[in-house]
Amino acid sequence: MAVSLSKGQKVDLTKSNPTLKNAVIGLGWDTNKYDGGSAFDLDAAAFLTDGNGKVSGDADFVFYNNLKHTSGSVTHLGDNQTGEGEGDDEQIRIELDKVPAEVEKIAFTATIHDATARSQNFGQVSNAFIRIFNEETNEELLRYDLSEDFSVETALVFGELYRHGSEWKFTAIGGGFEGGLGALCGNFGINI
Amino acid sequence: MAITLVKGQKIDLSKESPGLKKAIIGLGWDDNKYDGNFDFDLDASAFLVGENNKVNNDLDFIFYNNLVHSSGFVSHTGDNRTGEGEGDDEQMIIDFEKAPTNVNKVAITVTIHDAETRSQNFGQVSNAFVRLEDETTGQEILRYDLTEDFSVETALVVCEIYKHNGTWRFSAVGSGFEGGLRSLCLNYGLDVE
Repeated sequence: MAVSLSKGQKVDLTKSNPTLKNAVIGLGWDTNKYDGGSAFDLDAAAFLTDGNGKVSGDADFVFYNNLKHTSGSVTHLGDNQTGEGEGDDEQIRIELDKVPAEVEKIAFTATIHDATARSQNFGQVSNAFIRIFNEETNEELLRYDLSEDFSVETALVFGELYRHGSEWKFTAIGGGFEGGLGALCGNFGINI
Repeated sequence: MAITLVKGQKIDLSKESPGLKKAIIGLGWDDNKYDGNFDFDLDASAFLVGENNKVNNDLDFIFYNNLVHSSGFVSHTGDNRTGEGEGDDEQMIIDFEKAPTNVNKVAITVTIHDAETRSQNFGQVSNAFVRLEDETTGQEILRYDLTEDFSVETALVVCEIYKHNGTWRFSAVGSGFEGGLRSLCLNYGLDVE
């Protein structure tokens, strides 16, 4: 049964799920139910970083224009532009065995496309969650509902997968930046 | 000093105002400064809802014809028909100690009376704000100026005061519906004919 996380919580992933090979990270949110205003276009992304939280190059930023990491370990499964539909809005697949040795952490993030022009922030998004499920068995391993954990941010770090010894763990972050994609990338060592 | 909120912002009332027992929610707006148009009659109301974001019964809708909730949790202090005067145009009092256990959110909303007939919408209202004042100390805790946050709506959810993990929080919503009071009621589970 899926573990339900709260902000700041850290849990084992591979220790409690030793046969896990491919994990799919699902991110979801509800579209704005109010009239007026623009549609929300949220974009999920992943940053593969070292122990200091910095990428080794731009190619470590996996997003809608760079769907597959060179190592093959992280694949973004495509852009959803309106958030319609139940369940995951965007998904990222991780093949744990292929993650390069120098990558210590993988951060899962979302940004609001055109947030400033549309006057949008994550406080207006409801029911945001991140979940991890085993691609082979479809079993949901953990879920973090973050809707109350942010308000005026336009870029959010939902959570991170990180190495701990020979295992992988997950930490629920739910923190972000008001400066959108620029601030997010800057945080991970990418200048845009 | 009062915090100024932006649309989407959420704050924890127990942190910003520890010990808050009773709050006055003041809503205000400026009437139409142009000649030759109808007066704006804005009506503030509140929906007391449960976990599923729906009212438990019709009496959970507080408005000018149902001014005080049976629990005493939310009271409306009366209808202002023209928006004349400085400061708050309408006020609600929230007595947190009287919150019923099956209510975990109060949505504070405003509708334009007769909007269709008068061809009015919130885009024509100026200087709309909501503020929260501690009734005991008289201190203003927060203010949210929403005038730029809407345009063609005729019913607005100004803010929501809700319980999360045991504490009360305030969310600056500033979004609404083009369908007037009807859309608003349907959103909160109130049957309208």
